Amino acid sequence: MLHYDYHKPDSLKEALGLMAQYKDEAVFIAGGTDVMVQIEQRKLKPRALISLRNVVDLKRNEDTTIGAGVTLRELQKNPMIQEHFSALHDAACNLGSIQIRNVATIGGNICTAAPSADTACPLLVLDAKALLVSATGEREVDIDEFFVGPGKTVLRKGEILKEFKIRRFTENTGSVYIKHTRRAAMDLPIVGIAVRITLNRNDVKCRDALCALEPISKIMGYFEDEELKCEDARIAMGVVAPRPIRARHAEAALKGKVLSEKLIAEVSEIAVSEASPRDSVRGEAWYRSEMVKVLVKRGIMKAIERIVRPGEVVYPERLW
Amino acid sequence: MAQLTFVGKPIPKKDAPGKVAGEAAYIQDLKVPGMLYGRILYSAYPHAKIVRLDTTKAEKLPGVKAVLTGSTIPPFKFGVYKDNPPLKTGKVCSLRDEIAAVAAVSPEVAQDALGLIEVEYEELPALFDPIEAMKEGALLIHEEHKTNVLKMPWKLIVGDLDAAKKEAAHIVEDTFRTQWVTHCCLGASGCIASFDINNNLTMYSNTQIPYLAQKDFMEALGTFGLKNKKVRIIQSVIGGGFGSKLDTYAYEYLAILLALKTRKPVKILFSREEEFFATSPRQCTITKISHGCTKEGKLLFREMEMILDNGAYTSWGATTPSVMMLPISSLYKVPNVKYTAKCVYTNNTYSQAMRGYGNPQATFAIECSLDQLAEKAGIDPYEFRFMNANEPGETTPQNFKITSCGVKECMEAVKTRLGWTGKRMQKEGRGFGMAALVHVGGGARVYKSDGCGTIIKIDDYGKVDVFTGSSEIGQGSETIVAQIVAEVLGVPIDDINVINNDTDVCPWDVGVHASRTTFVAGNSALGAAQKLREQILDLAAATLNEDPSALDLKGSVIFSKNDKEKKIALGKILRSAHYAPGGKMLVAEYFYDPPNENFDKEFKGNLSVAYAYGAHGVEVEVDKETGQVKIIKYVAAHDVGKAINPMLLEGQIYGGGVMGLGYALSENMVYQNGKIMNPNFLDYKLLTAKDIPPIEAVIIETDEKNGPFGAKGIGEPGLVPTAPAIANAIYDAVGVRIKDLPITPEKVLKALKEKEKR
Ligand SMILES: Cc1cc2nc3c(=O)[nH]c(=O)nc-3n(C[C@H](O)[C@H](O)[C@H](O)COP(=O)(O)OP(=O)(O)OC[C@H]3O[C@@H](n4cnc5c(N)ncnc54)[C@H](O)[C@@H]3O)c2cc1C
Repeated sequence: MLHYDYHKPDSLKEALGLMAQYKDEAVFIAGGTDVMVQIEQRKLKPRALISLRNVVDLKRNEDTTIGAGVTLRELQKNPMIQEHFSALHDAACNLGSIQIRNVATIGGNICTAAPSADTACPLLVLDAKALLVSATGEREVDIDEFFVGPGKTVLRKGEILKEFKIRRFTENTGSVYIKHTRRAAMDLPIVGIAVRITLNRNDVKCRDALCALEPISKIMGYFEDEELKCEDARIAMGVVAPRPIRARHAEAALKGKVLSEKLIAEVSEIAVSEASPRDSVRGEAWYRSEMVKVLVKRGIMKAIERIVRPGEVVYPERLW
Repeated sequence: MAQLTFVGKPIPKKDAPGKVAGEAAYIQDLKVPGMLYGRILYSAYPHAKIVRLDTTKAEKLPGVKAVLTGSTIPPFKFGVYKDNPPLKTGKVCSLRDEIAAVAAVSPEVAQDALGLIEVEYEELPALFDPIEAMKEGALLIHEEHKTNVLKMPWKLIVGDLDAAKKEAAHIVEDTFRTQWVTHCCLGASGCIASFDINNNLTMYSNTQIPYLAQKDFMEALGTFGLKNKKVRIIQSVIGGGFGSKLDTYAYEYLAILLALKTRKPVKILFSREEEFFATSPRQCTITKISHGCTKEGKLLFREMEMILDNGAYTSWGATTPSVMMLPISSLYKVPNVKYTAKCVYTNNTYSQAMRGYGNPQATFAIECSLDQLAEKAGIDPYEFRFMNANEPGETTPQNFKITSCGVKECMEAVKTRLGWTGKRMQKEGRGFGMAALVHVGGGARVYKSDGCGTIIKIDDYGKVDVFTGSSEIGQGSETIVAQIVAEVLGVPIDDINVINNDTDVCPWDVGVHASRTTFVAGNSALGAAQKLREQILDLAAATLNEDPSALDLKGSVIFSKNDKEKKIALGKILRSAHYAPGGKMLVAEYFYDPPNENFDKEFKGNLSVAYAYGAHGVEVEVDKETGQVKIIKYVAAHDVGKAINPMLLEGQIYGGGVMGLGYALSENMVYQNGKIMNPNFLDYKLLTAKDIPPIEAVIIETDEKNGPFGAKGIGEPGLVPTAPAIANAIYDAVGVRIKDLPITPEKVLKALKEKEKR
């Protein structure tokens, strides 16, 4: 029989203290949607579980701070997240199911560090910083440095991920996360692609009705005429490497260039060359590569569309 | 027909509130005093000699009460072909081979004990592909069987194939493949075996064949040295069957043997992983098919050759070619037919029946091939089907007597609702497809009896207990039986209590299969209720001084149809009969066995007394860049004779459609070297509520003369035509034909790329 102690501390200090008492042989549990599965599969045999649910310090969800203890459902329902961090919102809408999202936390998702973690790519393109606390103090780690390999992070024994810091982007920024799955719910991505685009101008808001009805490729044509440039870009890819990665060459190829369909096609090919997907039961490598190409292209277009038409939340008919 | 009160009404399932409230007791919930927990050790290799098997350490683990191995149990084989011992000795033939069983005080101790059993194997080369296994000189899975091909020569020949081929103006030929899929019952397998002091056995079980299981267990007890003992099956609430619980399995015999050894009740429950790898799924098939028609499109012949992966042992999966013959000979009018099928031993898991009993595999090949033929003949696929469709009154080449048949109405409904004529070929990337089906709808005589018994008793207050042989496995039989009895006896449906879970109490039934329960159990309940009604009316006639034929019974009141004043409450009549000198309490009994026929040696005969038809149509959209297929519209039309309960009937159509969509698009047991790689719901892609398009269920009523109130079966048909309808629609949309299920985005994309190259 499996026996373990269970604690539910109210503060970070208490939580860290308990972990020290168990000489790091306890396991932190937030929503438990990864931990309980691992215990059931006997992959994890903790001496104790230390619940982080009551730790209010992990629950901040404001402005530029997202606490590790914030649930996916809270992110999904937060209009601020939807407006400013759309990629993260996309992830929050599509992780597991409502039942899972009600308890699963963003911190847990990142600390499990699965190559398929849905919030990882969005945090990568949003340049998030992770704040880690331990008995000896705090440190800040760039999210891109947080992941080490499948299930491996820079978290030290007994260290707690407190929150993420994300800066507010200017109005001419749009982001998106596309989760490519077999099922519409309760599924892990075959490939996950996040994109953030910042344009060089913020007077491109396409307000007239005609523009809103045009297909995006036509709109791209206008942009080319107007010399609309991509000022900054981030592209992140999940399930194509041992950890979620950025497609840095693809990003560089996009930066400072005049946007055109041709450029976007080239960029997506570069992204493919940066991916090293593998065959598994969940998907074949060739298909994953193919999807990187398609989804990076669609992701860039969708991110631009979100700048151009900020009001439009979903436009499934047009792009995916 | 007279105005009906309960039949034909969308009455919610009687068992639903208990299930929703968590009150229903599934096998997982049941406990018997003193009960031990059993666990099974499975083979580590798909094909290997067992060199050494040492259970000493496991036996010494505190809490372990018994450890069994093949050499410590009496020799015994079970299954359709009697080729499967509950514990294997000498060698193992698949990764689900049971080699030891433990009973302990808790499931955890039993599990730990399994880890202490030491086994040494000598790995043997293995066969996972039935085509390899059929080859001359292939290694033998069961040496004593001398060949890997089962000695069940499935062969149906009608008419003159050669002549038809010569006559045909258009001929198509192709090969289609289907995959392994499993039932995915929410309620996983389990049982509790318990002996009394006299060695009579009680099995708590979630079987869908209580009386055949009872017979299997009695025979087994005989070989265990317990001849002429009584076996009682008590069914828990059953969380889905779909054919998975149509046989008896090693785990049940092991629970029995462990209970005998320990003299304590023993419970064995499957984990979800076991449910995936150690229950018997629908087998994969390879079908070569050829169709020919005249210049005008009249079907002339159908030729099919099929190979079925039987797996390492034999259950009902090996007999599915019998039901496949039904669509092969009788879906559309086709005068010349040849069909052969071979079931082949491999080192894979062994196959079982699953909803449709072979029909989905056969219909996939037939309906895809027909689309190809229609194209070749230059005829619209709808027109082509309609022209060749079956009709009432027909006797098909396999001697099926088609009574009611609404397949043309079904096709028309599909065509109209999809907008086939106007909308087809309009939008880039969009396509339309359809497929029809035929299935048994009035029982199926696959056993010596196809019968079902019913006993009805009524108490002093007019409350009714119905004891039926039929089982409720979620399909709604309890509600249907109650509706029929309530209709005949004129009592509120809430006054009907259906008892359907105890072989000591209920009369015999052959089991839940072949979409037969509404038809057979319904007719049985109808017969018993009519007998009871006669008794009631006879009693009332004397009291009311009327002829029984002038009386009617509604709302628990007996009244004269001629004189409204002449009436009496049902309870009153019953009580006065009960307390009269000599006393009388009313009970009625009826056994219904449909007048259908077993197949003769040529596999001909009227298997069922009614046949269910239907047609499904879909509109799909294919994403040419990702290969993803989206179902835009789905219409499922079924000829059901009469909808006894439209709500439950729609439920069967939706459920069937969902299962069919999974079969068509996503479900697949991925086997690598005999090992299932996705034994969980994360990687076995059972579709979710979010994936399911709205399914428009169309009910066509044809009033089947042999059915209870005109009804035919609908349990299985809902999933039969889904896959070919979708495959045909994809072809219509983007011009690629996917011939092996499931139709994954990968396959579609690959086919699109190949098409581009050409
Ligand atoms: C049915 C189901 C569906 C799922 N679907 C998806 C999906 O679609 N996409 C996806 O990405 N994931 C999915 N998951 C996985 C899981 O739900 C997510 O990873 C979730 O975000 C984990 O969060 P949690 O709060 O439940 O983590 P927990 O299980 O509580 O913890 C996960 C890990 O993080 C550690 N941890 C948690 N919080 C902290 C902290 N503040 N500091 C340090 N360590 C911490 C824990 O010790 C543990 O190692 C699914 C899981 C299930 C069971």
